[in-house]
Amino acid sequence: MAEQKKVRFIIERQDGPNEKPYTQEFDVDYRPGLNVVAALMEIQKNPVTVEGKKVAPVTWECNCLEKVCGACMMVINGRARQACCSLIDKLEQPIRLQPARTFPVIRDLLIDRSVMFESLKRIQGWIDVDGSWEAPDAPRQDPHTAETCYEISHCMTCGCCLEACPNVGPQSDFIGPAPTAQALLFNLNPIGKYNEPNRLNALMEKGGITSCGNSQNCEAVCPKGIKLTQHLAQLNRDVNKQALRNIFNH
Amino acid sequence: MFHVTFYLRRLHSVVGLLAVGGFLLEHVLTNAKALGGPTVFNEAMAMMEQIPHPIFLGLEIFAVALPLLFHAIYGIYIALQAKNNPGQYTYLKNWQFALQRWTAWFLVVFLIWHVFYLRILTKAIGGTPISYELLHSYFTGSPLVAVIYTIGMIAAIFHFCNGITTFTMTWGIAKGPRVQSVINVLSMLLCLAMSLVTIAFMAGYFVM
Repeated sequence: MAEQKKVRFIIERQDGPNEKPYTQEFDVDYRPGLNVVAALMEIQKNPVTVEGKKVAPVTWECNCLEKVCGACMMVINGRARQACCSLIDKLEQPIRLQPARTFPVIRDLLIDRSVMFESLKRIQGWIDVDGSWEAPDAPRQDPHTAETCYEISHCMTCGCCLEACPNVGPQSDFIGPAPTAQALLFNLNPIGKYNEPNRLNALMEKGGITSCGNSQNCEAVCPKGIKLTQHLAQLNRDVNKQALRNIFNH
Repeated sequence: MFHVTFYLRRLHSVVGLLAVGGFLLEHVLTNAKALGGPTVFNEAMAMMEQIPHPIFLGLEIFAVALPLLFHAIYGIYIALQAKNNPGQYTYLKNWQFALQRWTAWFLVVFLIWHVFYLRILTKAIGGTPISYELLHSYFTGSPLVAVIYTIGMIAAIFHFCNGITTFTMTWGIAKGPRVQSVINVLSMLLCLAMSLVTIAFMAGYFVM
């Protein structure tokens, strides 16, 4: 029988939020169609390093395993992406896994992404309804706008765009591309548009859309192919108009 | 509602393109007169001298120095908010983003030296008018200075031309990817043209 092919993983680990990071290497049996999450599961079953040392299993987060939930975002070979859809066959080996350090690291590859939820609250990423009763005559939406909305609604707040954006991080207060673009989704909604001024004014605050530096990394790394730069440019237009309204309507 | 950050950012953008950028264009064009030889260059200097002194000084302070200072100081604040990562994310636009900041840092240092030495020390304090002969001996006397000046000029030109592209994005003028790349190509061509002119007139001091 041929010798079992191995895949080498170099994993940046960290025992706690304030602990020092260190790296450990693991070998995982190769099999066709293997992805990073499946490989991490193998390491979890048998957490033994290449030196033969038994260590604590690597911690990470995953959920849907089909690029829908966004939970397994990590830095794979230097690039922010979803671990579940990162096929080993398409990655350069050894494979280097790191936590997305734009976010606070809880342990190993597990990060705390709640800052994005706070940002969504800040931009009022919801639609106010009048009540819980049925609305028989819902306002209509033209199919072109609906298409744009559908595209932006694919956002799974995985955080790839925030990790890749040079303007997001501890050095800056930018809320990042994902929550910013969500403002457009709710502004385009026939009922959501009534709160458009609130969202635009929130985006004009410190850390809002003005912190965008047009590096366009966000769009390049977005696993859902959301045209973030286009939506940010549209929002730039919208906040300029809102600024004029703020000046001349009051 | 008054959003200080929003207005400062937009002011930074418009001042950079119109005031600082406009002055850079004028600066390149006037310097390019050196290609025509000492007479043409000195005539251009003499023409500027015809502007009454208080008006000229007022223009220098309010149309050049103050906008430049604001753009530089607020720009430092902006540049400090970036962790440049083109080594990790090697996309062209990301390189441009990083270069925009690297040229900015270089220009802050270069312009302090350039303005202090030529405008303040030589012209204002020393009372020596800027002439072809002065620049000729300054550059040929120390080729390193000429090289740093050429790099400084090209850095400023890149910063300005790349700034045109980001300006159109910041103001929501260029929204789609096609128009954004067309503007990017056009402004980089302008960058190339202005850089070639700069190299030509700087080399001219050594040839003529």
